[in-house]
Amino acid sequence: MRDFLSLKILDRLRPALERLGCDYPVLRKIVQIKLTMDARRVPTVMMNNSRRNRQENVERNTFVRSLWLYGVMGIALLPFVLTSENYLFQMSIAFAILMFLVTTSMISDFSSVLLDVRDRAIVSTKPVTSKTVSLARTVHIFIYLSLLTATLAGPGLIGGLLRHGIGFFLLFLMLVVLADVFVLVVTALLYLLILNVFDGERLKDIINYVQIVLSITIILGYQVIGRSFAVFKLHIVFHAAWWQVLVPPFWFGSVFTWLPGGHAVGSAPGAEIVVLTALAIVVPCAMFALYIRLMPAFERRLEKLSTDTARNRKGSHVVLEWIAKLICRTDEERTLFQFSSWMMARERDFKLKVYPSLGLSIAFPFIFMLNPAMESSFHSLASSKWYLAIYMTALMIPTVVSMLKYSGKYKAAWIYQVTPISDLGSVYRGVLKAFLVRLLLPVYILESIVFTAIFGFSVIPHLLAAGLAILIYAVVCYWAMDKDLPFSKPFEVVQQGKRYLVLVLMLVIALLAIVHLLFTLIPFGIYIYIVILLVANVIIWALGFNTQRSATSG
Amino acid sequence: MPQNSNSLHSNTDTDVAILTRDLQVIFGRKTILKGINLSVRRGQIIGYIGPNGAGKSTTIKAILGLIPEYTGEIRIFDRDIADGNVDYKKGIGYVPETAEIYDALTAQEYLTFIGRLYGMNERKAQRKARELMQILDLDGAFQSRLSSYSKGMKQKVLLISSLLHNPDILFLDEPLSGLDANSVSVVKDILAQLAQNGKTIFYSSHIMEVVQKISNRILLLKDGEVVADGTFEELSRQAGDTSLEDVFNDITGFHEHRDIAAEFVAALEEV
Repeated sequence: MRDFLSLKILDRLRPALERLGCDYPVLRKIVQIKLTMDARRVPTVMMNNSRRNRQENVERNTFVRSLWLYGVMGIALLPFVLTSENYLFQMSIAFAILMFLVTTSMISDFSSVLLDVRDRAIVSTKPVTSKTVSLARTVHIFIYLSLLTATLAGPGLIGGLLRHGIGFFLLFLMLVVLADVFVLVVTALLYLLILNVFDGERLKDIINYVQIVLSITIILGYQVIGRSFAVFKLHIVFHAAWWQVLVPPFWFGSVFTWLPGGHAVGSAPGAEIVVLTALAIVVPCAMFALYIRLMPAFERRLEKLSTDTARNRKGSHVVLEWIAKLICRTDEERTLFQFSSWMMARERDFKLKVYPSLGLSIAFPFIFMLNPAMESSFHSLASSKWYLAIYMTALMIPTVVSMLKYSGKYKAAWIYQVTPISDLGSVYRGVLKAFLVRLLLPVYILESIVFTAIFGFSVIPHLLAAGLAILIYAVVCYWAMDKDLPFSKPFEVVQQGKRYLVLVLMLVIALLAIVHLLFTLIPFGIYIYIVILLVANVIIWALGFNTQRSATSG
Repeated sequence: MPQNSNSLHSNTDTDVAILTRDLQVIFGRKTILKGINLSVRRGQIIGYIGPNGAGKSTTIKAILGLIPEYTGEIRIFDRDIADGNVDYKKGIGYVPETAEIYDALTAQEYLTFIGRLYGMNERKAQRKARELMQILDLDGAFQSRLSSYSKGMKQKVLLISSLLHNPDILFLDEPLSGLDANSVSVVKDILAQLAQNGKTIFYSSHIMEVVQKISNRILLLKDGEVVADGTFEELSRQAGDTSLEDVFNDITGFHEHRDIAAEFVAALEEV
């Protein structure tokens, strides 16, 4: 076990931590154990980097290795830090971005740490005070949060130092720490509230949704931030106002107005600024005190989380059965369809990895249309052929399809070996259909509604054609990937090598869109295209899977 | 029958390891424990049995201080655990039913960590862990990660982790699960010898044969209440049964096992 650098820094905080009432040597040991385990774990969120380390002794924290990504994101803060038009405005925006990114990654990356129920059985049963356990947990999260914030705010901090000098830099640094404390505490208190009202399952669902929102926002955010320089050209006159009391980033932004040249207007700081600044300092400190007090309650809630029994679910079975009968031909296929549908909807690990991709599927078509929409008027967009952007919905299909063979409970796949499955083709068909119906169809319907709203009813045949083309595309994707039994491999072995394949498959989408475009040039071409696609679908779904029967052994 | 335990109450006795008075646990609208009265002496092996959901692990969790919202009184070696001092846990070892373990760690790291939590110093914890691992034939795997262990090996590590600090009271929840027959014999003998040395063992299991054989007092819990308390001989005499399994079924009012089995088999053959 290594002695981590962060532990050495922690040693300096020993007196402060002991004053909060913890047993420092034990706390240090707990944190050290946690850091060691993290170094060996492949975190869920970093699935893109998760290549299994064959040599067991290589201990590198994958989180630390993926930090550079946050550094890149942090560049988004630069335009706001570098200008000196209006400190209140620019730094409030900078803090809004910073706090948003920190909060969302806090929820998506560190929820598992905050909600680790194993600690209850292993650590809390030992002669360790709950205060020490809670503080160890807090320190553990704070170490990561500091790393994350340091990289996120890094470009901004350096930019600020060079542009506005050391005073600005130190102020920025201090406020970033306060903002971190604020975010950590608010998240924990939010969880406490949710756990008080709902059960643990619901909390996990909420965490799931936040992860989806995070991935969509990052993609969309870059589209917007690229244009953010334009905002400054507008020469915004922006003053402190009372409503800003409700928006935490303004608290932090307001502090900068105290710097020389801070307020563009040139007057002395008004009452609003004084209050906002006071909030920036008082609220995080007060909330931290509250947090320390409420941590034991939090620990107790965790006990509830670990003992909660799941509620009975009912309802969708009938509909699902009906769909299964409608679209599956053999019993085996129907069985696999239903099984896969349940797994996709419920397996936590699977959802964590796949649902963010689906979120992107929703966002992609609109990102694609953003440019033409901004350059020309909305009307010219509506009469254009930009509805072909619907094909972007399919962009995530290769990624998702390649995930269908993974599961957190992959060991349960022995069931395939001991049951007499005669036709693997129907297994694959069932799984793929489940994906299309359960995951892709809702996304596509949602897109279609919005597209119809934008382009009018005349777009419906095009949406239909695109949908049919995407069905074929899904088969092609599945066909191009390694054929493995569904939910039968651990997530840790997700390979990197398939990246090029995913890229090639993404190009195929462009090809499909071009074919579609060509058909629109012929009168009634779209209807001809639909007929061709229908026939192609029938053939490909009937024959596309049979080839594998001999290729794979159960 | 719960009243029988009153005769065991002799509160001034320093030999009482665990004492609970009217221990109640209520989660929301559900009452898990409806007033448990226990008095367990040093050197006793208590077979703590009951159907699923009877409140066995809740009792143990409450005694371990994991459920602060209990009402009533819990005393360990005549000290009320509600006084906020967690030092009493130094005298307790625990094998949880869920067999939770940080399996990213090696046995060495894990056991040393647990030893430290129990307040042992690092070197002593490590030396003892190695020694105990050696005796249980696991020294070859001392430096390997627990994730690579078989179920039986993990169970041995859990047992060692509960005994490392030489506790006076042991709470074992299905401690034999996954062990092979040889290891089962070893562990049973270890438990018997520990009890002889004055350790108190709270043994919770669903395998009635083992409970019958190793415990010198049996506590049967049902719906959050103690419904039987005594030696196996006493219980079997009262119930007029020859095995603990029958006693268990009798007292929990479960007589339909043959009918259910017949129904089950019949349903199979319908196809």
